[in-house]
Formats: sequence, C-alpha cells, structure tokens
Amino acid sequence: MNIIELKGVKKDYPLGNTIVHAVRGVDLCVEEGDFFSIVGPSGSGKTTLLNLIGCIDNPTDGSIKIHDQEITSMKDKDLTNLRLYKIGFIFQTFNLIPVLNVRENVEFPLLLMKKFSKAEIRKRAEKLIEEVGLKEYIDHRPAELSGGQRQRVAIARALVTNPDIVLADEPTANLDSETGANILELMKELNEIEKTTFIFSTHDPDVLKYAKDVVKIRDGMIVSREELKH
Amino acid sequence: MGIIFKIAWRNIFRHKGKSFIIGVILFLGSFIMTAGNGVLSGMNKGLQENIVNRFTGDIVLIATNQRDEAVVGGWSLTPTEVISGYTNIKAILLKQPYIESFLPVCRGFSMILNEAGDMGFSGLLGVDIDDYQRMFQSNLVLVEGRMLSSTERGVLVTAGARKAIYNSMEMWLTPVDSPFILSNLSPEAMSNSNSLNIQSNMVLMGMSADGNQLDIRVPVVGIAKYKYLDSIWQGYSILDLESFRECFGYVTAQDTEIKISEEKERILKEEENLDSLFEDENIFQKVETKTSAYQIGKIKPKRVAISTNMDRDAGIYNIVFVKLKRGYKLKDALLKLNIELSNSEASAKAISWKKAAGSIGDMVSFIKVILIVFVTLLFLVAAIIITNTLSMSAIERTTEIGMMRAVGADKSFVAKMFASETAILSFFFGGLGMVIGAIVLPLISWLKIPAGTNDFLLLVFGGDYFNPILDTGDIIAGILILAFVTVLAMLYPVIVATRITPLEAIARD
Repeated sequence: MNIIELKGVKKDYPLGNTIVHAVRGVDLCVEEGDFFSIVGPSGSGKTTLLNLIGCIDNPTDGSIKIHDQEITSMKDKDLTNLRLYKIGFIFQTFNLIPVLNVRENVEFPLLLMKKFSKAEIRKRAEKLIEEVGLKEYIDHRPAELSGGQRQRVAIARALVTNPDIVLADEPTANLDSETGANILELMKELNEIEKTTFIFSTHDPDVLKYAKDVVKIRDGMIVSREELKH
Repeated sequence: MGIIFKIAWRNIFRHKGKSFIIGVILFLGSFIMTAGNGVLSGMNKGLQENIVNRFTGDIVLIATNQRDEAVVGGWSLTPTEVISGYTNIKAILLKQPYIESFLPVCRGFSMILNEAGDMGFSGLLGVDIDDYQRMFQSNLVLVEGRMLSSTERGVLVTAGARKAIYNSMEMWLTPVDSPFILSNLSPEAMSNSNSLNIQSNMVLMGMSADGNQLDIRVPVVGIAKYKYLDSIWQGYSILDLESFRECFGYVTAQDTEIKISEEKERILKEEENLDSLFEDENIFQKVETKTSAYQIGKIKPKRVAISTNMDRDAGIYNIVFVKLKRGYKLKDALLKLNIELSNSEASAKAISWKKAAGSIGDMVSFIKVILIVFVTLLFLVAAIIITNTLSMSAIERTTEIGMMRAVGADKSFVAKMFASETAILSFFFGGLGMVIGAIVLPLISWLKIPAGTNDFLLLVFGGDYFNPILDTGDIIAGILILAFVTVLAMLYPVIVATRITPLEAIARD
C-alpha cells in the first residue's frame, strides 16, 4: 500500500530574473514501511523533494498524496497537524530549540500534541535519548553539545512521536561512523517493528547499505529507481 | 510551567540586551504614567478640596440669560445677571436628594470711590457670612479686625484687595475699632508709612447692568484672607447681603418687607383706573427745586442693623453654589437639576464648577490634557521602539521559529510564545515602574514641597503643597494602559513571527 504518491510534481523557484526548475515532473510512490533513499549530486533537487513530501514546501504543479490525502490543497493548520502527527524530520543542521535542554527538545513534539501525560512524555523521551546515546547529556542545552550530539537529539525528537514517515536529509552527515551506524540500526529497527517509513537523502554509502529502495535524482528528475536486496 | 512560558522565559534571558532595552522602556513608561496619574489625582483631589469644597461647590446656578458662564473665575467687569424668583429655585433645590447643601450669593464688581477722586475696583461677594463659612469650611480667616456678623452691615476686605486698593488709591484700610498694625503694611504702603491715609470705611458703587446702583459707605469690619488659593480668590471681598443689594440697586430683603396699604393695593390692581390718574391736567404743578453738590464725603454708613426676621431669600441673588452628596456624579446631577429647573420655568440654569471657574477650570483641563498627551506620546514612542526591537528579534529567530513550525507547532503557538515574552517583560518591568512610582509618590507628599504664591503651581499641586496621590482607579487604569501598550507593541512582531515558514528557516540555514 502506498503511503506517499507523487504525480507530475514540479517546483520552480524565482532566482533574480530567472526561474530555477528544482523539481521537474516527478512521479514517485513510496510504500508503507519502506526504507527509501534518494541519492544524487548537490543541487539535484533531493532536499526540495523531501521538503515537498514533508509538507514544508508547496509544489508549483502536480499532486502529492499522503495516506491518500491530497496535501497540495490543505490549509496551513491541517498541514501543521500532518507534520506533527504523521511525519518526523531530521535535517542537516537545522535542528534544536536553543533554550531547551536535550530532554525538553525531545519532549517538544509530544507536548504540542497535548495527548500524553507528563510521565508518559518523559518516559518516551528518556527511552529515545538513551537509545541515541545521550543519557548523560539529558540536561544539557544544544550549545553544550557537539554537532553530532545535536543531530542525535534531532533524530530522537523525530522518532519520539512514532510517526508514520520519517524524512531525513543527510541524517548521518555530522556523525562519526560508529554513532551513524547505531542511529541507522535504530531506524532500521523502528522500520521493521513499527513499520515506520523512512525516506532519506544521502551521499553516504554506509546509509545506502540499509536502504530497501534507492532513487537516483539528477537535475530535478528521477533517473532511476532500484530495489536493493541485502 | 507550560512549554510556551518556559521557552518565553528562557528567551528573555537568552536575549538579555533586547529584553533590557524593552524592559527599561516599559519601566520608564509605567513609572512616568504612574507618577503622572498621581499628580493628576492629587491635583483633582486638591482642586476638589480647595475649589469645590471651599469656593464654588460642585454646581453653580446662574441666571438663564447669563452669557459669560465664568461667573466665579472670570474677571470680566461685565455685570452678572440676576436670578429672580429664588424662593422657587430654593424649593427645587431642597427637593433634590443628591444635593448636600447650597448657598445663594450676590456677585459683582464695584468701584471704590474717595473724596480725592481716586478710583479703585473690587470684586465683591454678597453673602450671609455664617452660611458662607459653614458651606465652605471656614475658608475665610481673619488677618485683622473681626469677622463680619450676619446681622450687621460691613465689608471684609481681603488682604490682597487692601493691597490693590492702596496701590490704586493710596488708601490703607484698617478695620473699625482695630489697632493699626504696622507689620501688616504692604511694601508699597510701608515705604509711605509716615503719611499714610488710613481709612476704616469705604464708598462702593456697584457696577450693575441697569444703572440703578447706589454709592454706599460701608465700614471695614475686618481684613481677611482665604485659607486656600488666596492668591486666586483674593479678588473677592465679602460684603453683607443687604449692603450689596443696595449698592447694586437690587431688590433688598428690606424692600420686600414694605407693606402697601389696602387702598394703594386696590388702585394698583385696577389697571384701567391707572390711566385715569393722569387725565387731570392739573396734576403737574411747578415747584422750586434746590440741588446740592454731590459729595462722597457726605455719604453716611447705614447704622440700621439687619433684621434677622427678614426673609433674605425674597431679595435678589446672582449665583447659587451647590454641593453634591459624596459620590454622586456631577454629570448626572447637572442633567437632573437642569431638567427640574427647566420644568419649573425657573430663571436659573446649572453649570459645572469648572465652567463657572472659567480660566481656572480651563487651566486644570489644560494641565490634564498636557499630561495625558505627554503620557500617550511616551507610550506611543515606547510601543514603536518595542515593536521594532521585537520584530528584529522575530527575524533573527527565523531558524528557531521555522524549526518549531516544521515539527508541528502551529501559528498560534508562535504567537503565544512571542506574546508571553512581551507580557512577562511588561509584567516585571512595567509592574516595577508602577511599584516604584507608587513608592515615590507618598515620599514626594511627605517632602511637602511648597507651591509658594505661584498660581500655576498652586493649581498643579492642587493646594499649598505638592500632594500627589494614587488611588485604586489610577492603578487599574495604569494596568489597563500598560496592557494596551503591550498588546499594541507586540501585534506586528507576532504577525512577523507567525509568517515565518519552515521553508524560510531551511533556506536561511
């Protein structure tokens, strides 16, 4: 069953007097529980495609469906709720709330949901913080963490709501290989147990080892799609 | 502690510089507003105490045909119109449950004459002195001589008027049967103390509209001054009611006592017969007349005591001062009273003390307007600076806000976060400004800063000393104004912040 469906999706950006065609008519289907990788050179449109899937950006043309729901015509409030309840984000450097400590940052999306008890929120956040290896930094603020540690907090925050889809833009770019591997193992585990769909853009061949599907993108167009067997 | 409040609180400390700037502006604004309100309240209370309670009452009744309504504070020499049928008006006033007390008075300007041909002027209030002192909390205090009695003729000259009379007529007034007090001489009189023209009575000629005025000589019973705002009210000396009416050619109480014989009354009633009285050509006959030269010096003071049995109210008055019961609204009372007067076709209308006080009342309003404009401008500037600072802060935090939006925070969350930050600053710094203002005001009162003889300061201070006070209404008004400014200042930054999209944050990153 497709959890994400893109049909003829285009995205143009004005840049000075010219128009940049970042995505040029992409058709893509992602099945529920997929571990999906988008690869391609810098400027190929990977991040734009992730932003479009993640309801962060609107396409210039085309249709995007998540859970069979057309998102291009949704109101801001509905898109926000979709991001909160269904999607988890892991960005390259765009990550944490500076005035909150590690635990509070991870708890943040759960607090926005307003449907869990304080104890439940704490329990879920602490479990994930431990899993990303930051237990001893639980009361530290982002400014007191390294880039890798911050990225791990962002990953914990993306996973804490048990979203249906996790979008990750270069998730291991700032991590050492061992931590990166641990994180990927965690993602894989969630993918297998919770059937969480993972879509990530990457250059990292280690990440590709975990992917079930790999889509190659160039100049805003999908050039190939390959199913990997591990 | 909610997540919004937690983030807002920590952001204040994270952006210490900006928070401090906004805080200082809010502190100064609320401090000045509190102090300004205190000054205004002090002034209002002082005016209430010193003008309303001691000179005019809350409401002043004047003749319906009185054009210039500034009958107390206006110093125009135009005669004050008379109120006729006071007995009827008195009956109306007595029926009003919101009226505490009232006092009818005569008011006008008179010329002061002497044998040398010099001329002076004086404002006069013709009153029953006992009623006046009772109504206005013994506002008149003696400087020399004795207090006028309700049953005698005479004038209480204010110390200021005595000085002015000396300057224009070189005549130094000393009360009858009172020792001459050298130390009370004005500097001008002192410089001429060896050849001082000392007088214990004065000839007054009322300046009335119909030209029926008389020259009367009245004894100076005492020299007095007003306890409060004497430099403003010293223009009014106090004359007994009957002498005032004679001097201005009004119907006196004594006139109303005259009994007409039944025969004369019958003839007056037969209007048709009145013409027949003049039909006889022999009615006129030539007589020898002899006129003597008019000499002011020959005007004798009336020795007749004023009968206590007379109905004073049957005579003429110009003004009625009315005091309202505590807590009753002036506006409501004016409306009700004017309806009653109009329904009874009375020849009087009710105006507020401020109108009657003329330029003095206007000055009070003017000072108030200046203070209000100043505080408004201050807050407007404060709101602009705060808006600018917060807007810059919102733009600087695009990444943080965009990221919050990306992970599921809606626009209202961002709006609440910004509103909380501003509200916290407003609460602490604005509140501190109000508290410091509230502490400083009693300290200023305690210092008893004197107004001296400066009329403007007397008005601003609302009395002889600077006595700012802060009442509950001022505090509530201050909080509401502060809240309004806070909301006004954060409106635009909140709009800026809520327009930030996750995409902008990524693009910036």
